[in-house]
Amino acid sequence: MDLFLMTIATGIMVGGIYALVALGWVLIYKCSGVLNLAMGEMTLIGAYTSLSFYSMGVPFLLALAISLVIGFILGILTERIFLDKLIGEPVLTVIMVTVGLSFFFKGTIGFIWGTDTRVFNPPVFSMEPVRFGPIVVGSVYLWSFIAAMILLVIFVCFFKYTRWGLAMQATADDEMAALSIGVSARFVYAAAWSIAFMASGVGGTLLGNINGLNISVGYLGLLVLPAVVLGGLNSVPGAIVGGITIGILQNLCGTYLDRYFPGGVKEIAPFVFMTIFLLFKPHGLWGWERIERV
Amino acid sequence: MSTTFLPCGVYHQTYAQDHAWWQTPFIKAKMLALALILFVVIPMFADMYWISVCNQIGYTILGALGVQLLIGFCGQLTLGHAAFIAVGAYTSTLLILEFPWPTFMIDWGIAYPVSILVAAVVSGLWSVLFGLPSARVKGFYLILSTMAAQFITVDFIITQYVSQIGGRGQAFSLPPGTIKMGPWVIDSDVKVYYMILFFIIVCVTVMANLLRSRVGRAWVAIRDNDISAEVMGINVLKYKLLAYFVAGFIAGIAGACWISNLAAISPEHFPWFWSLWLVGVILIGGIGSIHGAIFGALFMVLVMEILQMIVMPLSDIYPKLLMDFLFIKEATFGLAICVFLIFEPNGLAYRWWQIKNYFNLWPFSY
Repeated sequence: MDLFLMTIATGIMVGGIYALVALGWVLIYKCSGVLNLAMGEMTLIGAYTSLSFYSMGVPFLLALAISLVIGFILGILTERIFLDKLIGEPVLTVIMVTVGLSFFFKGTIGFIWGTDTRVFNPPVFSMEPVRFGPIVVGSVYLWSFIAAMILLVIFVCFFKYTRWGLAMQATADDEMAALSIGVSARFVYAAAWSIAFMASGVGGTLLGNINGLNISVGYLGLLVLPAVVLGGLNSVPGAIVGGITIGILQNLCGTYLDRYFPGGVKEIAPFVFMTIFLLFKPHGLWGWERIERV
Repeated sequence: MSTTFLPCGVYHQTYAQDHAWWQTPFIKAKMLALALILFVVIPMFADMYWISVCNQIGYTILGALGVQLLIGFCGQLTLGHAAFIAVGAYTSTLLILEFPWPTFMIDWGIAYPVSILVAAVVSGLWSVLFGLPSARVKGFYLILSTMAAQFITVDFIITQYVSQIGGRGQAFSLPPGTIKMGPWVIDSDVKVYYMILFFIIVCVTVMANLLRSRVGRAWVAIRDNDISAEVMGINVLKYKLLAYFVAGFIAGIAGACWISNLAAISPEHFPWFWSLWLVGVILIGGIGSIHGAIFGALFMVLVMEILQMIVMPLSDIYPKLLMDFLFIKEATFGLAICVFLIFEPNGLAYRWWQIKNYFNLWPFSY
């Protein structure tokens, strides 16, 4: 029973990070309709930037802040240079441009930072595990989860109460109507990309604190896809629930199914779930079902 | 892309003439010259290095043909084609290594051709299995399910289970002399070249003929609008699955051919990168034409070779360049896709079509 509870707890904690990255993904999709496959590499860029600054001796929070600023700038640049020209193009074109971007980013990251695993040294979070009754959780996980949750709250508030957030929601809802009341759609797209860059950067930094950072952490960007499919492509709460659910499912499979199917069950399980889910409920829990007209 | 304009004075009187492949003597001469170059000139004059580049191009063409069929003609987006190539390669290898062939079949060199055929069928069926979600979903969701096909097939089933068969560990090595096509042992690059060339011609012929038949028209109708296609009385699911089967079949042939060029096969030969690469190839070549797959493959492989030639001399000064060549390759590939999609979304095949038309209509191009 303890094992079960602990698995669930770890799943929730890791799921929090997935949720954060998934949120960035949903944000881009909601505002500009771009299905982004470069999320993993965006995560890596943020994570490597903060790690580099941290290794230079910059305090952790400051390093994170710098990586956020860089993520912001990169987000605007990406949108302006590549995605801006593709508004209104068919879905495959836009997806493949993000695939191209992901290769471009990955190649650049690999060229700059190499393939070795790097760790945050000295460790940011203490190695001492935290106990809640029978459940023992690594403090890194706990802090990551807390940070992810704080950011989620910030995002939700941003969307509900600030002017920019409202403008973004308006554009997502109906671009034409938003344009006619004076919202700059180009501004909104740029903002969506830079916020997504920042969110995934934070997610990556937290994940890098758990097991160190190497280029395969970008795999996270693919794990986001099952999460958003589960929650529905254009639903912010869906991203959070989806992320946490995928985290839990993944850890449950890792704990219980590994015996029967040795090897990489943990890596593959989210995709199996995703395929099954797609067969039965392709629009996710809270996604909009689009009615097609010929 | 509509058909090419014919030179002045050439006109058709029957439907068959209109659909003939080589419609003017000039085109016939051109194709003959092309065949001459492919079969005689390249093997005679190219050195080992260029032959191996040609093999690489051929393998990419074979792989991209299936992707072109799915994406370009049937509108079913796929990002997991390497999985089907892997299934083909592994089926063929396992058949050669593990199947108790009667001695006379090995002596006559039937084992490998039979294994190619079986590999193609198995790969086609595997592809149909992962094409089933296309009954319910399309667009982005279909991309996700084909991605899942890649991870489930290559990273899980093949890496964890298939690789364990026979206790060889990770890589299956093919002893020299086991790959035999009839009387010829496929042991040199030139022989691999001829074999791949043969299969490309077969696949292109089959595909081109399918595309101008009822099946191909049904595919194109589904691509253009699946709901209208259904209203017109096309059994959408049947034709979608047929497209998956044919694409998987070609992928199986590609995989089974490629093992003759590899000393050992392992799951690392079929990464997700390769699936994306194939999609990139047809995007650069042009979606919706067989030319697209061929031009794209030529372009991508040659650009990468040229890139390597540029990097090689520079690496004396800055050795990191050579060490991280893979990353440079990836970044270039990514940038190439982006640039093509933004500035030339119709791909190289469209340019080719324009050039042909320019000369056919010259000097009165209006």
